[in-house]
Amino acid sequence: MATIEVQGLTKHFGSVVAVDGLSFSVDRGSVTGFLGPNGAGKTTTLRMLLGLVRPTAGQALINGVAYRDLPDPERTVGAVLESSGFHPARTARNHLRAVGMVDGIAAARCDEVLEQVGLAADGNRPVGGFSMGMRQRLELARALLGDPQVLILDEPANGLDPQGIAWLRNFLRWFATQDRVVLVSSHLLAEAAQTVDDVIVLNRGRMAGHGSLTELRQRATTTVRVRTPETDRLVSLLSEHGIQARHQSSDLVEAQGTTVEVVGRLMADNGLVVLEMTSAGESLEELFFQMTEGAQRFGAAGHPEPAPVVGPGPMPGGPS
Amino acid sequence: MNRLIRSEVFKLRTVWSTWLLVGLTAVLIAGLSALVAFVPHHGAVNFPAKGTAAWFDDLFSVMALAVDLALVLGAIMITSEFRHKTVTPTFLAEPRRGRMAAAKLVVALGGGLTLAVVAGAVALVYGLASVATGVGGIATMGTMLTEFRHVWPGVAAAAVLYGAYGVGLGALLKNQVVTIVVALVALAVVEPIVGAAVPSVGRWLPGYAAQALESVAASARMHAGFGAVSSVHLLVWWAGALVIIGYGVVLAALGSLTTLRADVT
Ligand SMILES: Nc1ncnc2c1ncn2[C@@H]1O[C@H](COP(=O)(O)OP(=O)(O)OP(=O)(O)O)[C@@H](O)[C@H]1O
Ligand SMILES: [Mg+2]
Repeated sequence: MATIEVQGLTKHFGSVVAVDGLSFSVDRGSVTGFLGPNGAGKTTTLRMLLGLVRPTAGQALINGVAYRDLPDPERTVGAVLESSGFHPARTARNHLRAVGMVDGIAAARCDEVLEQVGLAADGNRPVGGFSMGMRQRLELARALLGDPQVLILDEPANGLDPQGIAWLRNFLRWFATQDRVVLVSSHLLAEAAQTVDDVIVLNRGRMAGHGSLTELRQRATTTVRVRTPETDRLVSLLSEHGIQARHQSSDLVEAQGTTVEVVGRLMADNGLVVLEMTSAGESLEELFFQMTEGAQRFGAAGHPEPAPVVGPGPMPGGPS
Repeated sequence: MNRLIRSEVFKLRTVWSTWLLVGLTAVLIAGLSALVAFVPHHGAVNFPAKGTAAWFDDLFSVMALAVDLALVLGAIMITSEFRHKTVTPTFLAEPRRGRMAAAKLVVALGGGLTLAVVAGAVALVYGLASVATGVGGIATMGTMLTEFRHVWPGVAAAAVLYGAYGVGLGALLKNQVVTIVVALVALAVVEPIVGAAVPSVGRWLPGYAAQALESVAASARMHAGFGAVSSVHLLVWWAGALVIIGYGVVLAALGSLTTLRADVT
């Protein structure tokens, strides 16, 4: 049984479809990156997992049950959320004590986690005076309070300084080696790539990609361009073998997600003429763009719309 | 449920706004008592002679202010969770939201009692001082204590129940300022108007229900300084208590079905 299991999860906010029939599962002993552009539905999905947002349809389970049915949930799941709050007049330590008390977590544990996130000296200060990064550290401390088996983190690196980010990265790696589970959202694949084993890419509330980072890296570096007089035959041949390919010009074919070796052998076996073959590198980040905003522009048909050339325009990505 | 209740008490203890309300109760009651005790009335029509049982009754009815402050305390308990977005950690620790609301209702009862005790202590200091200085030349310890025993239990009961009523109203309205303004305007403005226009309806409103509890000694009401001798025929004290409990529970239940059920985003 997967530790985190999401099935047909859907959320409508009025006419906005934030999450649309999403299904995935996450197993023990891994760090899974939950990626997608602004407004993709990451936060909404994580909040549904945590029982804070009611799904329109589908279910989100942790250890086979809904969050609200977990006994002492903080002892099973630790969560860092974007718009979680603090009473400005309450001290950091008292914030943790108030929350921990509900699930029977001892006061001594509050000091331990404050120490862990580097806030030991600030425990008795009211949170109202905390900087953004300090608040984020306190959020992390709260997530760790119950020594949970599962961590669900929504952009936990927000506001952290470089040392904080490095600490977090190490911590998440260590956490996963304890046969526990981390699901962490981010918009930056490059940043997540240093931490995660698996990725789930979300776009407009739907799954845009799912797999291990290793697989993704392989896909990321393998766009094969072939110059051949027989472009039609090559495209249909590659398609028959499940390789995405398209005409670039009268004698050029571009194949995605494959290698020179695979294409070369196929062409030789079928007696096709090769004039030139190159393999173009593509960064993880480019692949990520292709999976997200690209997925909308190119659509299923695989025909890119020409980009309008008018000024710098608005910031790309984000909700549309 | 015990742990939830302990956590709610802890939350109250660890913010200064709670202590501000406690301090405000003491200061306001001290001030209003001073008004009753020291302002000379020279036997004006509506004022009883100093040192009489009726005068002590007036002195102690000032404590009714604690009832309004208990309402504010209850309202703040729940609305500050939304205001400061602490609902997220609160619901993460206890995702069964109705239980959280129930714990707050229970703790608000205790909060109301605390304010009533503070009010009682301040009022008693004035009572004792009046006896010690022989106000009006006739004040006795016996009269003073008898009147205190008449007034305080009703005030305390109303304050306890108003704490829960504040939680219920806050659970429904969610916004802190809106909740407090609505509650106080309803008490100070709307209810007296309804009471004057339709007394038979007025008696069922929370303010008059509180008066029914407070005026076991048939004292004039000095709720929030809006004293009024009205034509409303008050309910018997226990019916008044049930009415306030009813408001608290029904509002909290409505809140649980609406505001508290809503997505936390
Ligand atoms: N409470 C809400 N009311 C209305 N729409 C909402 C609400 N919460 C989220 N949405 C919408 O749902 C969609 C998904 O939002 P969500 O916050 O889940 O995205 P995200 O992937 O976390 O984005 P970001 O990277 O910016 O944090 C967006 O279109 C957003 O406007
Ligand atoms: Mg988000």
